[in-house]
Amino acid sequence: MTKRLVKQQSRNYLCNFLGFPTRVIVLIFLFIIILFPFYWLITNAFKVEQEYFASPPVILPSRITTQNFVDAVVKYDLFKGLKNSLLIATGTSIVTVLAGSMAAYTLINGALPKKLKNVFAGWFLVQKMYPAVLVAVPVFYIIRSLHLMDNVLSLILMNTSFNLPLVILLMIGFYQELPYEIEEQSMLDGCSLLQRYIYISTPIVKLGLIATGMLTFINSWNEFLYAVILTVYRAKPLTVSIAGFITDKGLIWGPMAAMGCVVVFPVLIIMWLMQKDFISGMSAGALKG
Amino acid sequence: MLISRHIVQSRRDVLYSWLFLIPVFVILSITAFIPLGFGFGLSFFKYKLNLQRAPIFNGIGNYIEIFQDELFIDAVKHNIFFAVLAVSIEMSVGIVIATMLSDDSKITRLLISLLMIPMIIAPVAAGTLWRMMLDRTYGIVNYLLTLVGLPAVSWIGDYRIAIYTIIFVDCWQFIPFVAILVLSSIKAIPITLIDAARVDGASPLKVFTRIVLPITAPVIIIIAMIRFMDAFKVFDTIFVMTQGGPGTATEMLPTYIYRQGIKFLRIGYSSAAAVLFIISMSLIAWGFIHLRTKQLERIG
Repeated sequence: MTKRLVKQQSRNYLCNFLGFPTRVIVLIFLFIIILFPFYWLITNAFKVEQEYFASPPVILPSRITTQNFVDAVVKYDLFKGLKNSLLIATGTSIVTVLAGSMAAYTLINGALPKKLKNVFAGWFLVQKMYPAVLVAVPVFYIIRSLHLMDNVLSLILMNTSFNLPLVILLMIGFYQELPYEIEEQSMLDGCSLLQRYIYISTPIVKLGLIATGMLTFINSWNEFLYAVILTVYRAKPLTVSIAGFITDKGLIWGPMAAMGCVVVFPVLIIMWLMQKDFISGMSAGALKG
Repeated sequence: MLISRHIVQSRRDVLYSWLFLIPVFVILSITAFIPLGFGFGLSFFKYKLNLQRAPIFNGIGNYIEIFQDELFIDAVKHNIFFAVLAVSIEMSVGIVIATMLSDDSKITRLLISLLMIPMIIAPVAAGTLWRMMLDRTYGIVNYLLTLVGLPAVSWIGDYRIAIYTIIFVDCWQFIPFVAILVLSSIKAIPITLIDAARVDGASPLKVFTRIVLPITAPVIIIIAMIRFMDAFKVFDTIFVMTQGGPGTATEMLPTYIYRQGIKFLRIGYSSAAAVLFIISMSLIAWGFIHLRTKQLERIG
């Protein structure tokens, strides 16, 4: 009992200077304001049409319908958007993790002068800083001239570019933690860089690869700016379709809420699967920059 | 930042090293360098994509025109207002919330995982969520307001309020981001420091101002810098919620570049705006880095 008490105390960093009652109130408020919008989204997705426009608003729907999802699929091509989003996010994750881990591995263990490696690492850092919108117009022009408009490939390419710097920085961290003796030993055994990368080092950091891959997946799943610029009809991902529900005349409530659920929940599931990795990955990504 | 490692150089490995870097080089060249240089070149031309006319060299004409464009000046003003207000709210509230969540009980741990939800969902989805909640006639927020006797507010339709609505949604998404990062840097402080202060009878406020704040200050500055620079990338939320309107009340730099370049197809003109944007972003980044080195020097 006392031991547990000591253990608990030793991790208590609480420095709440606003007093206990304020803390409780603020935290409860925080809880509500974070969760309520999601509750609202889910209930709206299952509400029947007249309940959107009821006054007072219906907090607890009396009738549940799946009509909104059916509408989203039939009238608004939910599956096409889903397919595109999945293709873009999966493609981006695979390309980014592959190219990124190769580059990171070379920057740690490759046979290049150290100065050159530092220059490259610095370059990837700078790359991470600039806003994506800066190249929007030239990219739009180039993609248009190449007749790659409305093509999933161009979106995979752009998303890869935005995620590569972060992935490389994270992967450098993983490869750096490996004991150098492993590398040395396999080098003495005559393994080339390629063999060491494929058979020795990468299998050990597999979990890191998966975590960064998922981070990339979320980022490209959520991406909107280039999706809206580079797609017209065929390659439209979910984020663009959902923005289309907001029209000059008002909102198309039901299908919009249904599609919102489809956009939000895969990401929440991924987050739930990799909570710890996510925090450390994010803080590393933010703070190394 | 790289640990130097002794490497037995073999010619085969040098070749592989370069081969390993090629994919990244190719991707970054196609998507970043070539477009950047191309955009810089275009910014000196008069070029509209929808007219069947070759680009005309315009010198610095585009730049002169931009500075006379009231819409551009407005976009810059709105963007700076948005960035300063949103980031200061996010930083101060985020830090306070981090101090409130820094114990180790089950409830706070649950809250921390819930906190991650707003920041990982798509900004488009966040905008849509709040667009539904804040709808003038059918939104639940206005209903709650009328319930307590306040007038319903046109959150998105009123040009004086719309920008605050955007700031609110941005805060909703990114206060958790700030709180979680500050929290993880608070937890990196040696606990003995804080325990010792507590034994000596320091109040929580003293612990916060004398120990936690000075130690986490470098991290806080970096987070502020990231958020401040991100505030100039805001696009998704505006696009979904207000489209830059009503009128031009929430027009900001990214939406301005988008409208001029992609909507009106004024390729040269919007490239010039982008070039100005890069220059000012670099200046801001340089300022922050300067601030940070100064602080590192002070700590010694």
